[in-house]
Amino acid sequence: MIGNLLARIGGAFLALAHEVGGVVHLLFKVLIALVPPRFDRDELWRNMYKMGVRSVPIIILTAFFTGGIMVIQSSVFVKKFGATSLVGWGAGYAVFREVGPILLGLMFSGRVGSNNTAELGTMVITEQIDGLRALAIDPVNYLIVPRVLAMIVMLFLLTILGDIVAIVGAALFGQLLADVSFAAFWTSFSQNLHIVDLTHGLVKAAVFGFIVSLTSCWFGISVRGGAVGVGRAVNNSVVAAALGIVLSDYIITYTLS
Amino acid sequence: MIHVRDLHLSIGDRPLLKGIDLQVERGSVWGIIGPPGGGKSLLVKTLCGLFTPDRGSIRIDGVEVCGLDEPALVPIRRKIGMLFQNNALFDFMKVWENVAFPLARLKPDLDEAALRERALMRLREVGLAGSEDKWPSELSGGMKKRVGIARATMTESPLVIYDEPTAGLDPVTTSKIYDLLEKIRQSTGATVLAISSDIQGLSTFVKNMMLVHDGQILFKGPLPALQECEDPLVHQFIRGLSEGPL
Repeated sequence: MIGNLLARIGGAFLALAHEVGGVVHLLFKVLIALVPPRFDRDELWRNMYKMGVRSVPIIILTAFFTGGIMVIQSSVFVKKFGATSLVGWGAGYAVFREVGPILLGLMFSGRVGSNNTAELGTMVITEQIDGLRALAIDPVNYLIVPRVLAMIVMLFLLTILGDIVAIVGAALFGQLLADVSFAAFWTSFSQNLHIVDLTHGLVKAAVFGFIVSLTSCWFGISVRGGAVGVGRAVNNSVVAAALGIVLSDYIITYTLS
Repeated sequence: MIHVRDLHLSIGDRPLLKGIDLQVERGSVWGIIGPPGGGKSLLVKTLCGLFTPDRGSIRIDGVEVCGLDEPALVPIRRKIGMLFQNNALFDFMKVWENVAFPLARLKPDLDEAALRERALMRLREVGLAGSEDKWPSELSGGMKKRVGIARATMTESPLVIYDEPTAGLDPVTTSKIYDLLEKIRQSTGATVLAISSDIQGLSTFVKNMMLVHDGQILFKGPLPALQECEDPLVHQFIRGLSEGPL
């Protein structure tokens, strides 16, 4: 009984160590490929378009309503206490520092990270990765490094876009639901927020992009077992990315605050 | 061209290649047959350096392959064209881009127009003119094989490996594929290793045969000698008998 329990705990620990070790090993391979740069630039542009530009509509939609939700939640108290001078600051502070990066990071992981894992996993089981190696092409340089760079850069840029759209959404909903004029919103926003509030969130966005890219690539290239394996890898990739985002969010918030 | 000596390979704790010895002369054409799961594909992938053996030696054109790291394997792999069992066409590239890809890597100075022209020429040779701008997912099984063959032979490598070039194809397409392989072989003079379960079809193309079973080569030699082999397993396999050691 106790022996079984210990064996299970040990097995789970070994499985976790295998995944973490795999991600760290992949990270070293990516870093080696970056100095000096040996990755495929066409692949980088292609991935930046596919992962970033094609994510713009969903990011705009998510961010717009996220800004609105900030105001809806606070509108009851704003009206009750007449705290209209805090709406712009409150919405901006929450969106820039926390809600923007974390929501967009999770959205990005769901849309781009899972797709990336499925694509790489399918390439593994259809021998496309072996095909690249047989053609004397290093899959890390050709496939992984451009994807890692594209995800970090595009999540960073999408977060900037998302922050702007969320603030516009918050201002619009503030006007409609809490009778906060655009001028009052802007005054509260511009007088109380500082550039550090924005950079705090952008540091998180870059780290989240890094986590989503590495986990999604690792679970993709380590797929075993056909279509079932691809499904399991996508699942693991999304869970690992979400855990990584939440944990790193805590560490960054604690460190930078 | 290829010298393999005492090659052993395990995956996990399962030994899959158990002491393979093989010599393939330049320009010769070998068929590799055997029951599924016997190690045929694993053997040819190990020759390309896609798997690292536990022990033994593989020499291609006098260069030892075992123990080389990925960058050191590049010149060896550039001597090899390979058609994979599942074709391994890159589904994010159009047909012509798939075919031109090895050439683009080998000769980076060629511009896109020149690459496309060379790819179209090869596609015409394999009977796929007009399919250059399709995606691999739009092709039938036979067409995918042809694209795979075009890609494997694009750089006219001195060694070409075909893993199941006719698997899942009807007899007419199979016959056409073997004619095509022979035509390409005659024009390039390459050394060829071809894996297939279709012994009859393969016999029209190869001059020598080896039978791989349970990680060992049970027979290797000229095609006529295969029919006379008295090993009970070889006898059963080549005649397709239900009674026997298999």
